[in-house]
Parts: sequence; structure tokens; C-alpha cells
Amino acid sequence: MPDVEMKSTSEKDKKDDKKKTEEEKKKEEEKKKEAKKPLPPAVEIKNNAALIDRGVSTLEPRFTQRVLRTLTALRKRIDDAALRTAIDGIYTKDGTVKKALLTWLPAAPDGGDAPMDIDEAAATAAKASTSEPVPEVEFYLRLLIIHHLLKKEETHKQALVLANETATKMQQLNRRSMDALAAKIWYAVDRAYELGGELADARPLLLTAQKTASLRHDDEAQAALINCLLRNYLEDSLYDQADKLISKTTFPTSASNAHLARYHYYLGRIRAVQLNYTDAHTNLQQAIRRAPPAKTAPGFYQTIHKYNVVVELLMGDIPARTLFRHVVLEKALIAYFEIVKAVRTGSLSQFQTTLSKHAGQFSTDNTYSLIVRLRQNVIKTGIRRLSLSYSRISLRDICVKLHLDTEEDAEYIVGKAIRDGVIEGRVVHEKGWMECGIQKRGYGPEVSEVFGRRIAFCLDLHNQSVKAMRYPLDAHRKELADAEGAREREKELAKEIQDGDLDDDDMDF
Amino acid sequence: MAAHLKTNYDKLIKAFTSKPCNLKETNVALANLKLGMIEAGLLIPQPGVKAVELRIAREVLEIGAYASIRSRDVPSFDRYYSQLLTFYVDYSETLPPSPHEPAIRGLYLIRLLTQNRIADFHTSLESLDPEVIATNSYIKHPVNLERWLMEGSYSKVWNAREEAPAEEYKFFVDSLMGTIRNEIASCQEAAYDSLPLKDAATLLFFKTQTELLKFAEHRGWQIDLTGGLIYFKKKNEEKVEIPKQRIIAASLAYARELEQIV
Repeated sequence: MPDVEMKSTSEKDKKDDKKKTEEEKKKEEEKKKEAKKPLPPAVEIKNNAALIDRGVSTLEPRFTQRVLRTLTALRKRIDDAALRTAIDGIYTKDGTVKKALLTWLPAAPDGGDAPMDIDEAAATAAKASTSEPVPEVEFYLRLLIIHHLLKKEETHKQALVLANETATKMQQLNRRSMDALAAKIWYAVDRAYELGGELADARPLLLTAQKTASLRHDDEAQAALINCLLRNYLEDSLYDQADKLISKTTFPTSASNAHLARYHYYLGRIRAVQLNYTDAHTNLQQAIRRAPPAKTAPGFYQTIHKYNVVVELLMGDIPARTLFRHVVLEKALIAYFEIVKAVRTGSLSQFQTTLSKHAGQFSTDNTYSLIVRLRQNVIKTGIRRLSLSYSRISLRDICVKLHLDTEEDAEYIVGKAIRDGVIEGRVVHEKGWMECGIQKRGYGPEVSEVFGRRIAFCLDLHNQSVKAMRYPLDAHRKELADAEGAREREKELAKEIQDGDLDDDDMDF
Repeated sequence: MAAHLKTNYDKLIKAFTSKPCNLKETNVALANLKLGMIEAGLLIPQPGVKAVELRIAREVLEIGAYASIRSRDVPSFDRYYSQLLTFYVDYSETLPPSPHEPAIRGLYLIRLLTQNRIADFHTSLESLDPEVIATNSYIKHPVNLERWLMEGSYSKVWNAREEAPAEEYKFFVDSLMGTIRNEIASCQEAAYDSLPLKDAATLLFFKTQTELLKFAEHRGWQIDLTGGLIYFKKKNEEKVEIPKQRIIAASLAYARELEQIV
């Protein structure tokens, strides 16, 4: 291990020489920006460390949660210098932890700015760092360093080494107060493996971690790990394994919305491949509803909508037109919009040309195989349109209108459509035509079925929203106290009434 | 590799490649080889075995898969296939790609089709490279069959039965035809009132009338021999009943939910 570290730092040194000038320039720019920004990253990290410390000592997971919420925004802003100053500020004494953390960062450039930063930052955080910080702070810093290393391609290897080391260390520690952090760290570990191109190697590690997490009832880490594993499997198209994983694990219901959204998305994808479109659709809908707002996470939003459009088409529905006018989706879904148009008109030739035109995009989106399955839907829609507009049509004409190869095919296809309930009608073989029956009446048991499905959907929506509500901790105590007080008052009142009654009685006498 | 494994392997190759293929000896050699391979840690590959040996183990299993199809033992084929998957998926980097892989995967796909396990069919198809699906004739065959089956172009399936890319594919053709006939028959029951015997025979791909009559009897169709017509039972004239049980259950569920809300 030390060998690797030495090498990587010396390599970094070389690179640093080149970067020095750039960095100094950047710093100047940053200094200008800092005036506008509320907090420089180094200070923010230190404040966060203090918060984590407070969270751990008061056993309130809320503080740690608050820190982790800023992680995404923060990780884009950190750089080597900021991390270094933060570590210097948090660990005032030269301990092993500080040394270990600093080895992952390139040595400080001899600029005039650096010491000044330290002074300034140290002053703000001096109150917090009187004693050695809790291990959670160390892992928070490690997490930041991993994310920082993952930003540049040349440091991916280093990030992977650090991620592995962090994971093993974390498992040895086994602290309940670290659960929330652990979930984020596992995500970073998975990401490091993925960017290092060694996804398959991460599986055993993640699987054992998942086992441990579920044994310890560590819900957050479990949710993060299941999602990592599912992503891992789906990247390699191992749908079988992914399906088995889902059937063997229970996804913690207390997981955060972001995790649930991802889980529903993966589940939807798996179910779609298995031709279970109804389930796929419900899951994708859930994912859409739980996803962060379209503007904050456009990528995820677009991806789920792509799948959702295809699944809806496969179910025989046509997605609403407004969807394709959405600001975030409009550009990303152009290809899908054209497919929808082809399916809606039931034109096989248009479908084929659209499919070949956008084949590249569909295969990068992983939806190609699903879209190919739409072919039969296109034919069905075509037949349906014909059956609505003609009361009697010859098989030959069906053949021409739907671009089918032979009349024989047309006969089989019409027969199948009748059996599957796509159209009402019958084939008169001797005359070679199809007679279309009267459309079903709109009233029957299927109406109540549809109605029931809609009610179930609304009720589910209501229940899910109730579940998603968050209540401040211990807030009910206050209410309890109020209730207690109310009861007291009631008692007094009752007593008074009783007394009053007696008084009244006395008066009567 | 141990000496007895080597002799057994030679025996297996000899028995399998002889014309016509000597199935009995192949199976005996396979049984011996499998025992030997378990001892050498090759059947379920253990860490630390050489790539050369793994390749031979893979070949043995592939021969086993072919042999089990030739001896019409489908469950055994399934077992070989799941053992082979380890080699195809987990060792794809250490081993050179096997020339038999597409053929065996294709066979498995056809097998899923004959059993109408379409969901499994698509799941295993998804694990393949789209390029392979589009270009490899072994894989393309089952993929096309599935597409035609789903569309209802049964005549295309019927015509494609002779175009099987490998000898082993033909074994599944018969059962596939059985599946198709049943599909067509159920379509006919829904789509026609009556059908002349001759046309019914061509639609169902029967060559002789006796075959058709037997099939018709099996499905319970009424045959009018003098008029030369088949009458299909009408199913949709059954009385529509009100599904009491379901409605009651649904109403109770609504009541419960409403109570929770209020």
C-alpha cells in the first residue's frame, strides 16, 4: 500500500509543477468570485465537520443529514487547496489521521495565498477543533477526497484505492452514527469502480456489504447498496441476476426519496424487459413522481421519461402530447416522439424508417430492443384503424394498406387480432374478406374494472403522500403535553361542574 | 490435466464426431468426464485453474449440450446450458470466445419459444450484444421466429422451419409446430364461424385430412363431413354474469381506505 501512495504523490508533484501557474490564475479568479459566494468551500467543509461532530455527540442524525444534503453542490466547488486547508483547520495536531488524509492530496504549492487562507480559516474553526474530531469527520473528508479524485480521469485509479481502503476501514469501525455517511460512501465506492472500468469486480464487495447492512438494519446503506448493485447488473445487461437480487431482498421503506426513485426506475426497466408492462409502468410512474424536479436533475428525468414513453406504447396507450413540449424533455425525446407518431398512425413503413434513423440513439439509451417489440403494436393499431373505418374489407386491401407480405399473413394476423380482442369481427374465408362487428357497448363489468383501477390509483397516491410526509422529531411530545394539559383542564371543569351542580342543588333547597 | 481425463476426452471426441454420431458412447464418456472434472475443480470453475483446461471443460460441456439434444433430453440440455453460462459470462475475458456459443444460445432461445416462455426469452436476449443479434444467423433465427409468432405471421414461421442454421435446431421444430397449430386453432375459433375442411387443412399446415380430423376432435370442433365444413363453437354467447365477489371485495376495500382517510 505505501508504495502505491508514494508513487501517486510523486506523480502528482510533477503534474503540480505544470499546474502551478494555472492554479494561481484560478485562485485569482476564485478570489474575485469568493466575494459574491456566501462561503468558500474550505470554510463550509469546516462548518460541516463541526455539524457532524455535534450530530454524533448529541445522537441527532438530523445534523449529519443536513451536511450530506449540501454534498452535491459542495463537491463541484472543492479543489486541492480547499481540501488541504480544511484538513489543516480540522486537525490542529499532527496525528496519523491527518497524515493519512493529506497523502491523497498533492503537496501544497508555495504560493503566498495558502498560509493566509489557513489563518483565516483556522480562526473560524478554532472553537470546534479543540479536541480530536470523531471518526465520522474523517470519513466525511475521505468522501470529499474520493469525489474530488473522481473528477479528473488521471486520478481515477487513486480514487479506487482510497475508496477500497475507506470501505474496509468503515466496516471495521461499525458505528451506528455513521449510517447516513456510509450510504454516501458506498455510492462513491461504486462510482469509483465504474469510472475505473472494473464494475464486475465491485459485485462481491457490494454484495457482502449489502449482507452486513441488512443484518445491522442499516436501512440507508442497504438502500444505497441495492441500487448500486442493480445499476451494476443492468450496465452489463444481467437482468436475470438483477431480478433474483430483487426477489431476495426487501428494499427498506424508510429509504430517502432519491433512493426510492432510483429503485423504482431499475425495477421498471427489469419488468419492461420481462414483458410485464403493467408493473413496469407503475414503477416508472413512481420513479417520475419521486424524482427530483426536472430542472435540478434533467438527466434522470429524461431517462425515466424515455422508458415510460416506450412502455406506454407497448401497453397500447399513446402518451400525452404535452409531454413532448416539456422544456426539459422536448429535445431529448424527439426520436421517441417520431416513434409515437408512427405507432399512432399504424404505419409500418414509417415505423421502420424512424427506427433505422434513430437506431444509434435508441441503443445508447438501451431502449432499442424494447422499441423493436413495438412492431406488433404498430400492426395492431393499423388493423384497428381499418376495422373502425370499414365495415367490410378484403384481405388483399389489408395487405396493401399495412404493407404486409402476403394475403395469407394478413389472414393469420387478422385472426390473431380478433382472438386478442384488438378488434371485433370475423373472417369470411370463402369470400376472402374481413367483416367488422359492432363495437362493444360501453357498459359492462369492464367499466367497473377500469373504475376500480382508477380508484385504487388515487388511494395509492394518497397513501404514498401520507407516508412521504416528514414530521419533526419529538414534536408529538409537545402535543402530548398539550393533551395532558387539556385533560387536566377538563377534569377541573368537570369538577367545577360537579361542584356547581351541588351548589345549584343547594340553591334549590 | 490428469491422464484419465485426457483418455476420456479423446473417447468423447471420437464418439461424437463419428458418423453417425455414437450417442451411447458419447453419454458414457460424458458421465466419466464430468466426474473427473468435478475432482479437478473444472465443472464449476474453481480459482486457480489454467485457461487451457477451462477451454477444454467448456468444449466438453458444449458437446454435452449437443448430445443431450440429439438424445432428446431437454432437461439435461438446460443443465448443460446453465453450466456453460458461467464460462460464457464470467470467463469472457480470460477465455477466447467459443465458436459454439451463438449456436448453443440460439438453441436455448428456441427452447424457450417452444415452451412459450416469452419473458425468459427476452431476458436472455437482452444479455446479448445487439450487434450479434442482428448479424449472427444462429441468434437471428429464433429472434425472427419470435417476431413472426408475436405478429401472427404463422406462414413465415412455417416456411422458416427448413432454414434452421444447425442440425440440432430441427429437433425443436416439431414441438414448435405444435405450439403454432394450437395458436392458429385458437385464433380460428375466435375469427371464423365455419371453415371448409380443405382450407382448414392448409391453414393449419396439415397434409392429410385424417391428421386434421384427429386434431379437430382433440379441440372439440364439430365436423360436417357431407358439407365439408368445420363449425367452431361460439364462446362469446355465454351469459355475462355480474362478478359479485369482486365487486363486494372492492367496495369493502374502498370503505376501509375511506375510514383511514377520515
